[in-house]
Amino acid sequence: MPETELLRRTFKVTGSDFDRAGEVSTEVKSLLIEIGVDSTSARRVARASFEAEMNQVMYADKGTVELIVTDSEVQMTFQDEGQGIEDIELAMQPGYSTSTDWMRAMGFGLGMGLPNIKEISDEFHIESTPGEGTLLKFTVKMDSA
Amino acid sequence: MENRPHTVAFDKEKCVGCVDCTKACPTRAIRVKDGVADAIWELCIDCGECVRVCRYDAAISLTSSPTELEKFKYKIAMPSPVLYGQFGRHVHPDKVLQALKRIGFDDVYEETWMCEMVSAAIDTYLTECKGPWPRISTSCPAVMRLIAIRYPDLVEHLIPILAPRELAARDLKRKKAAELDIPEEDIGIFHITPCSAKAEAINDPLEVTYSHLNGAISIREIFGPISKALKGIDKVDITYSYSPIGMSWAMAGGEITGMRNQNVLAVHGAPQTLEVLDRIDSRQFRNVDFLEIMLCPDGCISGPLTVAGRYEAQHTMTLHIQNVASQSRVKEEKVRNLFQEHYFAFEREIKTRPVQPLAPTLKEGAAKAKEKLAILERLPKKDCAACGAPDCKTFADDVVRGHAQISECVFVKIEELKKEKKTPKPRATQAKSSAKAEKN
Repeated sequence: MPETELLRRTFKVTGSDFDRAGEVSTEVKSLLIEIGVDSTSARRVARASFEAEMNQVMYADKGTVELIVTDSEVQMTFQDEGQGIEDIELAMQPGYSTSTDWMRAMGFGLGMGLPNIKEISDEFHIESTPGEGTLLKFTVKMDSA
Repeated sequence: MENRPHTVAFDKEKCVGCVDCTKACPTRAIRVKDGVADAIWELCIDCGECVRVCRYDAAISLTSSPTELEKFKYKIAMPSPVLYGQFGRHVHPDKVLQALKRIGFDDVYEETWMCEMVSAAIDTYLTECKGPWPRISTSCPAVMRLIAIRYPDLVEHLIPILAPRELAARDLKRKKAAELDIPEEDIGIFHITPCSAKAEAINDPLEVTYSHLNGAISIREIFGPISKALKGIDKVDITYSYSPIGMSWAMAGGEITGMRNQNVLAVHGAPQTLEVLDRIDSRQFRNVDFLEIMLCPDGCISGPLTVAGRYEAQHTMTLHIQNVASQSRVKEEKVRNLFQEHYFAFEREIKTRPVQPLAPTLKEGAAKAKEKLAILERLPKKDCAACGAPDCKTFADDVVRGHAQISECVFVKIEELKKEKKTPKPRATQAKSSAKAEKN
């Protein structure tokens, strides 16, 4: 059965704005709960979304986040303009990070972001052009579906 | 759940329909309808922010009445340490306790040692805890209720350790019943409280099946009688010794001052509470082991049911803490043993009360979310609250849930009136042209 798109929203993320970092994920989560997505799925989306949002804040100049809710899943697309990723295979390894000391001091950039997103989500896709930016997509299938 | 008793109430006679409380409410529960404030009670956490800001004494807190006290043969007052800071630096806490005995209580219980014990118990808990981090204090009942309603996923962050007043009341009741050889039901223990949230935690507790306390009396109500009784008290008896650590619980940061774990932080104030909980909820803030969160701006000492100004009270309290300094009587070993025996543990699991989705099915919910965004786009985003909701976003939510009409927004109304003025003109020209057409 083809999926029916129920809702689509786009959000903006500003690079290096640590004070507001996470706001998009918080908004996505409350929106999902509000429309009636089960709390386990909403929480999975929020957790993965937060990791992806943090990557945009840490490594990109600016980014967009697109949320699509269908009758059976939540699709998230993160597109940014920034430094991109040199070696995706390496970046996917748990613990690998190019973060700075101060990022780590704040508890971010521990090299678990991408592996966590892959772990939490049901479908995961990433592509990047160094010096241009990164496109990351993940899907969470809903519990009830 | 919707009809649960609340401590906060509105006096419709006194309410003038200003929107101060609507704006101050941290859960955006209050609406001004037909010129008076009322709440969506499922959202109310009884924090008393409305009581604090109301200039007309219309937002009130229903605490125990003198008749409720008379139901008990033996009455014990258990003041929050905040009470000691209400009468100025020259009134020793001991005099305050003596005064309570003079105004009708058979006995008083001094809570500060139990506060210190709980600080030590939290330390013990943290050494055995494996996350999720940070662990959140459960001493502010308004914060606990806020989490149960607005942040259900954070319930697992709450430290399942009972508040000092509950632990003390449980012990005290057993002890006094045995000592006086009367049934526990004849003993009434009343908390002298700085806030409505603690009164509500006694009326309708989350962490125990029923509270071990029998009621709460607000500091506001009992301040006058205590002040009068104080006039006849000259001597400090020093019947009680005080824990300076326990005393500091009255102020922001007090709970963490006595702790051994240094990876701790205190957050206070309603907006700050919402901000930090949002951050924990999105997993942004997880480097701290323990977070003391107090909904009131300076901790309990600035509670909505207090009398002394918050700065004067903090000054008095700070001096008391310096003056009552006494050797700690809390033995770590004993606390650890009690902890192993589950002495401090919650008596039941916290039930979450999450906010209802916009519609029963996902499909309808998504449609409603679109509708809500469309409504919000028609609103001025001035957050003027003239409609009775605190801000445009909340008003849009009310409209989409069918609790309000979009025409209740004055700006929308003005737009509609402008359109109505314009529309008759084309009708008039149309009428003319048709009249012409008829002539021809």
